[in-house]
Amino acid sequence: MMLLQSPSRFLLQILTDQVQNIEKGVDLDFHSVEFDDVRYHIQVSTKSPQFVLLSMSLPTPPPETVFFDGLPLGAIEAVKAAFGQLVQIHDPPKDGFNLTMKFNLSKLPPEEDQQHALLVKIASVREVVLGAPLRLILKHLSSRTVAPDVDQLVALVHRPKESFFLVPQADKVTVVFPMRFKDPIDTVLATSFLQEFVEARRTAGLNYAPSCLWSPTPPSELQAASAQELSANAGFVTFVISPRHVEGKKLDRTVWNLSTFHAYVSYHVKCSEGFMHTRMRRRVESLILALDRAKPDMDKSKKSTRIKAFKKLTLGDSRGNSNS
Amino acid sequence: MDAAASRPAVVIDNGTGYTKMGFAGNVEPCFIVPTVVAVNESFSNPSRSSGKSNWLAQHSAGVMADLDFFIGEEALARSRSSNTYNLSYPIRHGQVENWDAMERFWQQCIFNYLRCDPEDHYFLLTESPLTAPESREYTGEIMFETFNIPGLYIAVQPVLALAAGYTTSKCEMTGVVVDVGDGATHVVPVADGYVIGSSIKSIPICGKDVTLFVQQLMRERGEHVPAEDCFEVARKVKEMYCYTCSDIVKEYNKHDREPSKYIKQWKGTKPKTGAPYSCDVGYERFLGPEIFFNPEIYSSDFTTPLPAVIDKCIQSAPIDTRRALYKNIVLSGGSTMFKDFHRRLQRDLKKIVDARVIASDARLGGEVKAQPVEVNVVSHPIQRFAVWFGGSVLASTPEFYAACHTKAEYEEYGASICRTNPVFKGMY
Repeated sequence: MMLLQSPSRFLLQILTDQVQNIEKGVDLDFHSVEFDDVRYHIQVSTKSPQFVLLSMSLPTPPPETVFFDGLPLGAIEAVKAAFGQLVQIHDPPKDGFNLTMKFNLSKLPPEEDQQHALLVKIASVREVVLGAPLRLILKHLSSRTVAPDVDQLVALVHRPKESFFLVPQADKVTVVFPMRFKDPIDTVLATSFLQEFVEARRTAGLNYAPSCLWSPTPPSELQAASAQELSANAGFVTFVISPRHVEGKKLDRTVWNLSTFHAYVSYHVKCSEGFMHTRMRRRVESLILALDRAKPDMDKSKKSTRIKAFKKLTLGDSRGNSNS
Repeated sequence: MDAAASRPAVVIDNGTGYTKMGFAGNVEPCFIVPTVVAVNESFSNPSRSSGKSNWLAQHSAGVMADLDFFIGEEALARSRSSNTYNLSYPIRHGQVENWDAMERFWQQCIFNYLRCDPEDHYFLLTESPLTAPESREYTGEIMFETFNIPGLYIAVQPVLALAAGYTTSKCEMTGVVVDVGDGATHVVPVADGYVIGSSIKSIPICGKDVTLFVQQLMRERGEHVPAEDCFEVARKVKEMYCYTCSDIVKEYNKHDREPSKYIKQWKGTKPKTGAPYSCDVGYERFLGPEIFFNPEIYSSDFTTPLPAVIDKCIQSAPIDTRRALYKNIVLSGGSTMFKDFHRRLQRDLKKIVDARVIASDARLGGEVKAQPVEVNVVSHPIQRFAVWFGGSVLASTPEFYAACHTKAEYEEYGASICRTNPVFKGMY
């Protein structure tokens, strides 16, 4: 697995089970947590198995990002646009959650592949809700305009109390991620990972990828941001997104990949740690092998009793073999 | 208390056959997947690749090879469709054998299935009662070094299985756990939450043997199952059709009298050609689980039936716990799911116990009457993931977070902290 997938496996599994066994009517009450502190609570009651109640809580936003009623800009509209007839938004949401939606599974299209596609869409509700403001800006980019009421520098939440920044312009959008890691080893690995990442962009096959930069200091686009927002221990990554990256179907993928960039880096840091462990284990094994081979023949005076017994046994064995 | 404690803990129960994973506080695991990893081996042995002209491509492919693997159902599907992937089962007989595969398996569990950030959650993992302290250390090392988790608790499976019964009916932490998994069968007496280590009995017959036996029976009868699919078909047959009978002879008669009612059909498609085939499922339906009660039909090395092993196990436990142990025999593990397994077990065990009581009455000549011993085999619907459920219950209590090995302790003392149970922190 190279990239994190957008639909949540867990939600998808529950939804498909529910659709398949709709007449059985089972009670469901599940809590789940995803990376970056996104929580789900999914409920189905026996009485009305066609209704699935899905509550969602989002990461706590830092002061610089704008939230309306606990939701990112345009989230409600995005949910309505994505699911249409299927969804009903509860207001106010359940205690402790930012958004509560009721999905009516009886309104799903009867054709199997369409149905599946829509379930996958519901399972990627995170992309719809959290990615809403980013999507709005990138949509304007694809038509080469700038939304009228947008600031010079937009901050969007992607992790609890952390945000990334966008500089929207008519012909490009610059996205800047301040990278922060808790563990010192992670920080080092992430830094070199990001440098390699930027390097890899230069290979021939990736000419059309968004250009990307890494710098240890905040880039000039972020002059307006406060010092606290700019404290990052693994440097800053800048992507320049041009209109061709958000054409048609690419838009969804770009939104998802950008809004989970930090999780992506963190995943690969963990993977490389795992890989290093594998190599270390193999190394230790080969060293032990070398040590075993280098053991001198037993010094007779220092022979321990156990080894003696072992030796005797093998001698006896070999004699037994030769006799037979 | 740190922020991680406000989030639910992750509970992963790695079994030989299936891994159960989910978040604490739920009643069911989010995912139950086969414990198997499919690794792409073609990159790791360069001798097979031809020529050294495009070494760069090979090099970068080799770099990517560490991400080129699958777990669970996906792994099984991949290995079937192409032969670049090799299956590796990281756990055998309840013990982790291949740590590389295990680490990868956990990595996918966390990032691809549960999709959580391991730095944000406490973890509860399980181990069999016979796990060596070294392997616990290894587990701790991987969890703290690779995944940076804030806290870890490694629980013993039978205790969790008992804890699962704890909430449903009564507050009982004394009992015998009969854990029949895919790769290991243990009979573990637990008194007041403590495992009586000296009385643990394990038998070499487990879920996998049932599968093998079913496979053998089908092959001997000459059913047309493609050889490469044989084991999987046997496993499916075991999971779907097998049940426990009360008497083999009667059951044979029943099958012979009404074959249409008892003989099932299995339909599948051949993996290579895609042609459909079908085969009959007959006596193996009840003969499969029978190997626990009459092991001599399967192997000649081990012939003690499971009820006798349980009886021996309880008889070796301290005398003051025996009555309580007989009263609460808890089943756990997927291979106890056969229909009427608990009834048969209870009946056979009762027979042994009653015989002993009668013998002792006869020896005493009727002067003293022994109190009858209550034998009770408990079965509940969540048996298949009872261990996971117990873990979920345990990890949702607020005390759980205080009883974990923390990252700070790991950094201070090293992996050796995982040797002891953190509940006894400060007592040694």
